[in-house]
Amino acid sequence: MRADGVLAVLDRWGRAALPGSVLLFFVLLTLAPLRAPYLSDTLPLLPALVVFQFSLATPERLPGPLLLAMGVLLDLLLGGPGAPVGVSAMGFVLIRAAVVANRRYLVGVPFLFQWFGFCILMFGFVALVWAFTALWTWTAIDPVPAIMQYLVVAVTYPLLAPLLARVRARDPLNVPELSRGTAQPGETTS
Amino acid sequence: MAIRDDFEVVAGQVRTVVQRFALGLLVVAAFVIMLIGKADTVLVEHARVVALDVASPVLEAIARPVAYANRAIADLREFASLREENARLREENARLLAWQTAARRLENENEGLRGLANFREGPEASFITARIVGDSVNAYMRGALLNVGRRVGVAPGQAVVTGEGLAGRIAEVGENSARVLFVTDVNSRLPVLIERTRERAILAGDNSTRLRLTLLQSVAGVQRGDRIVTSGHGGSFPVGIPVGEVVETNEGSVRVRPFTDFSRLEFVRVVDYGVTGLVGSTSGGTAPQTAPAGTPAPGQKVR
Repeated sequence: MRADGVLAVLDRWGRAALPGSVLLFFVLLTLAPLRAPYLSDTLPLLPALVVFQFSLATPERLPGPLLLAMGVLLDLLLGGPGAPVGVSAMGFVLIRAAVVANRRYLVGVPFLFQWFGFCILMFGFVALVWAFTALWTWTAIDPVPAIMQYLVVAVTYPLLAPLLARVRARDPLNVPELSRGTAQPGETTS
Repeated sequence: MAIRDDFEVVAGQVRTVVQRFALGLLVVAAFVIMLIGKADTVLVEHARVVALDVASPVLEAIARPVAYANRAIADLREFASLREENARLREENARLLAWQTAARRLENENEGLRGLANFREGPEASFITARIVGDSVNAYMRGALLNVGRRVGVAPGQAVVTGEGLAGRIAEVGENSARVLFVTDVNSRLPVLIERTRERAILAGDNSTRLRLTLLQSVAGVQRGDRIVTSGHGGSFPVGIPVGEVVETNEGSVRVRPFTDFSRLEFVRVVDYGVTGLVGSTSGGTAPQTAPAGTPAPGQKVR
């Protein structure tokens, strides 16, 4: 541990807090009354996108309890009467676990692979939320809006992911060259 | 020292176990939260209200830029259809002027008749104007967040209206925030009347832009263009707030287009008609009495 100046300490804290802050921002943005057609439908799925994107490089900065708290907050803010609280939390945790377990296929590979991985995981997430909402309210919920939401967010990913990756790229500890494509399951970058 | 070493060893083992089963633990925790939410709905409602109260100042801060963005998008769209829009408005204006004349005449007549019959006016309604600071529109619900709450007299069950007609009702109320459930939400059931035939029906949402009319008697009397108004049954709303018009009558299914344009809502009015009915009774004890009309609370418009 080297002796750090105030700025360096702030810098470290900032980096550590960044993924959580971005996630919180997107959780709150979920409720923003944006009236752009289709785009506003994707807002509820953007936090999951953030979880995916940050789990690629710095999963240790999105600890499980934080994901749990964010997921519960998202459900509390979003949900209508009867909607399950905690299903997004479960989804976030599973996304992170899936990304960490499959780093070798997702980190340091061409973007198309990441996109493909995102589409698979996000489908699982949407299906999970849909299934639990249907189960919890015991009604046959029309899956078409959920599928539309999924399709739009899948298309949105290439637009948003580079932005988030840029935020991440400020981190010198970001994906070391050596581990590109060879990262072992469970291996993190710090 | 040995004790300390042992302790460290045990602590290390515990940490390993926790790390190994972290995923399982987290998933179980999320599931437990879901179960708690299912079992104790009151607790969840409280948590929701707290979360809304915390989030609403932040949302209010971003509401303005978002409103600008929305306006820009709407402007772009309108430019495309400016000419047709103008023609349509001119035509509508002419039609409305004719209606205005009719309304004036009827108003005079009504006043005279009321005088004759010693008609007692219902409780005066008071309005609270609210800005929509958040959307709750997603694949599973249709609603919005308002920047007013219990502090200015909003209570669950109150009607939320726009200039065009009924938008929904208040579902959850926080100290400084409230959640509206739109009439298009899948959980919305509204007792209504068909204005022309005075036939009763239930208007149900299904998360789409059209409402479904379930008739209590027969479908035969309904025509396209029939106006649908609230019936006042169930005691939550007064009679006669316009809701929508019939746009489609098929075998057994009648679809209604709501008058409110949910894609452009920015301000709404929360209306307290002083009617306490089934919906309000669950929380009637905590809901404050509304100030009588004419004594506006600071910071709101009351008509």
